[in-house]
Amino acid sequence: MRATQMAPIAGLRPVAPTLIQIRNLKKTYAAGRVQALSNINLDIADGEFVCVVGPSGCGKSTLLRILAGLDDYDSGQVMLGTKTVSGPSRDVGVVFQQANLLPWLTVRENVALPLRVGGGRPDGADDVDRLLEVAGLKDFGGRYPYELSGGMQQRAGICRALVRNPRILLMDEPFGALDALTRERMNLELQRIWQSTGKTVMLITHSISEAIFLADRVIVMSARPGRVLRELTVDIPRPRSNDTIISHPDYPALAKEIRALLTGQGEE
Amino acid sequence: MSKPDITLAVADPTIESAPASESPPRAPRPVNGTLIAGLGLVALFAGWALAVRFLDVPSYILPSPAAVWKALWSGLAVSPSDPLGYYLPLWGTLKNAAIGLAAGGGLGLLLGSLMAESRTIEKLLMPYAFALQSLPKVAIAPLVVIWFGFGDGSKIAIAGLLSFFPILINSFTGLRSVDPEKIDLMRSLSASRFETYRIVKLPNAAPYIFAGLDMAVVYALLGTIVAEFLGAQQGMGVVITQAQAVTDVAGVFAALVILGAFGILLHGIVRGLEQRIVHWGNRGRK
Repeated sequence: MRATQMAPIAGLRPVAPTLIQIRNLKKTYAAGRVQALSNINLDIADGEFVCVVGPSGCGKSTLLRILAGLDDYDSGQVMLGTKTVSGPSRDVGVVFQQANLLPWLTVRENVALPLRVGGGRPDGADDVDRLLEVAGLKDFGGRYPYELSGGMQQRAGICRALVRNPRILLMDEPFGALDALTRERMNLELQRIWQSTGKTVMLITHSISEAIFLADRVIVMSARPGRVLRELTVDIPRPRSNDTIISHPDYPALAKEIRALLTGQGEE
Repeated sequence: MSKPDITLAVADPTIESAPASESPPRAPRPVNGTLIAGLGLVALFAGWALAVRFLDVPSYILPSPAAVWKALWSGLAVSPSDPLGYYLPLWGTLKNAAIGLAAGGGLGLLLGSLMAESRTIEKLLMPYAFALQSLPKVAIAPLVVIWFGFGDGSKIAIAGLLSFFPILINSFTGLRSVDPEKIDLMRSLSASRFETYRIVKLPNAAPYIFAGLDMAVVYALLGTIVAEFLGAQQGMGVVITQAQAVTDVAGVFAALVILGAFGILLHGIVRGLEQRIVHWGNRGRK
C-alpha cells in the first residue's frame, strides 16, 4: 500500500487537453445589483475530476448552472471543447441535489428519460440496463423512487446523467442530503464509475473530506462575489479508499489549507 | 384519506397495548370511525322515526323512514325500462352530467394549461374566469335554457359550466406548482415545451386536477338537476318536481336518497381513480 502511494505521481497524470475553459466570467443578479461571480478563470482537463468548495452563496452553483447552460452570464467566455456554451448541451449530464427523480416514473423510466426527450435517442447512448447494473440497481428498475433509499435514488440520478454518454458530468452537491456512511459509500461508487467511464467531472460540495477524496484538483471559491481563491492539486493515488485516504501524508495539510481558506472568510 | 384512519382504528388493540409505557401523557384512545358513523346513522333513523310517530308530524312535511323506504323500493323494484322507475330518469341525469363534466372539465384543463404555460393568456383570461366564478352560476340557468332549449343541451351546458371552473383553477395551480429543479432537469435535457408539460407538469398537477374533479363531479350533477327543474322530459330533477307537485314528500326524499347515494359513489370512484393514478401521492417528495 505504502509503495503504491509513493509511486511517481507524474505517471498517473497524463497531460490531457483542456475540455472546459472559463475566461473572465462575470455574472450578476437582480439587474446587476448583486454580483454573483467576479472574474472566474478556470481550465478543466479532459477526464479530470474537479471539486469546487466555497462558502454558501459564493456562486458555485451558479457556476455549475452556467456550464450546464441553465443560466446565462454577463461577460466572459465559457467553452466546452471548441464550442461556446449558449444553452444545454448533449455533452453535459447534470446530477442535481437530492436526486431530483420524477416520482411518477419507475427507476428505469427515470434513467431512460434523457433518451426520450430533447430529440430522442442520441448516437452512442448508453444502455439503461447496463447502467443500472453498474450502479447496483439492476433489481430496482421497476420500482418507484419512493421505494428506494436516498443513496439509491442518487445513484439512479447519476445513471440518468450518464445515459446519453456525455463527456462532462456536473454534480451539484449530489450527496448533501445523505447520512455520513452512505455518503462515503457513494463517494467510493462515484470514484469507481468515474474511473471506468473516464468522464470529466465537476462536483460541488460543502464537505472538505469529500472534495479531497474525489478530486484531482480542489477549487476553493471566495464568498460573494465568487472568484477562484486557490486551486489545490490532490496527488493521492487512486483508487482511494475511505480508510486509507486520511492516513495519506498529504491529507492533513490539504484539509487544513482548505479549511483555513474557507474559515478565513468568516464562513464555513 | 379516511381509509388510513379506519385501518388505524381496526389495529387499535395492538397499538394500545404495546407502547403504553413509552408515551407518558397517555395517547387518547383511537376511536373506531366506522362504528361511530354506523351508530350515528342508526340513532338518526331511530330519532327520525320516533319524532314522526310521537310528535304527529304530518307526512306531507316529513314522512317516516318507512314511507321513504316504500317510495324508494317502488321506484327500484321495477323493470329498468319502466317509465315510473328511477332507472330511466337516473340514466338521463347521469348521462347529461357526464357529458357536461367531460366537456366542462376538458375545456377547464385545456384553458388551465394554456394559462399556466403563457402569462399573456393568463392575464387575458383570468379576470373572466374569476368573474364567472363570482357569479352564482345557477342564476344563468334560465338563460341557458332559452339558448339551448328544454332538451339535453341545456342540461349538458349547465353541468359543463359548473364543472369547468374547479378543473380550470386546479389544473392551473397544479401545473404552476412544479418544483423548479424538475424544470431545470428538463431544460438540461433540451426537452421541448410539450415534453416538459406531458412528462413533468401534467403528472405533477394530477393530484390538484383530481381534487378539482372531485368537486366538479358533484357540480355537474347539481347543474343537471337544476336545469331539469326548469323544464325537461326526464331526469331525476323531473322525478323530484313531479313528486313535489302531488306533495309526495316521501317520493322527493326517495329521489334525494338516490342522488345522495350516487354522489357518494361518484366521489368514491374519483378517489379510487386518484389512488391508482397518483400512486406516488405524498411519498413523492422526501
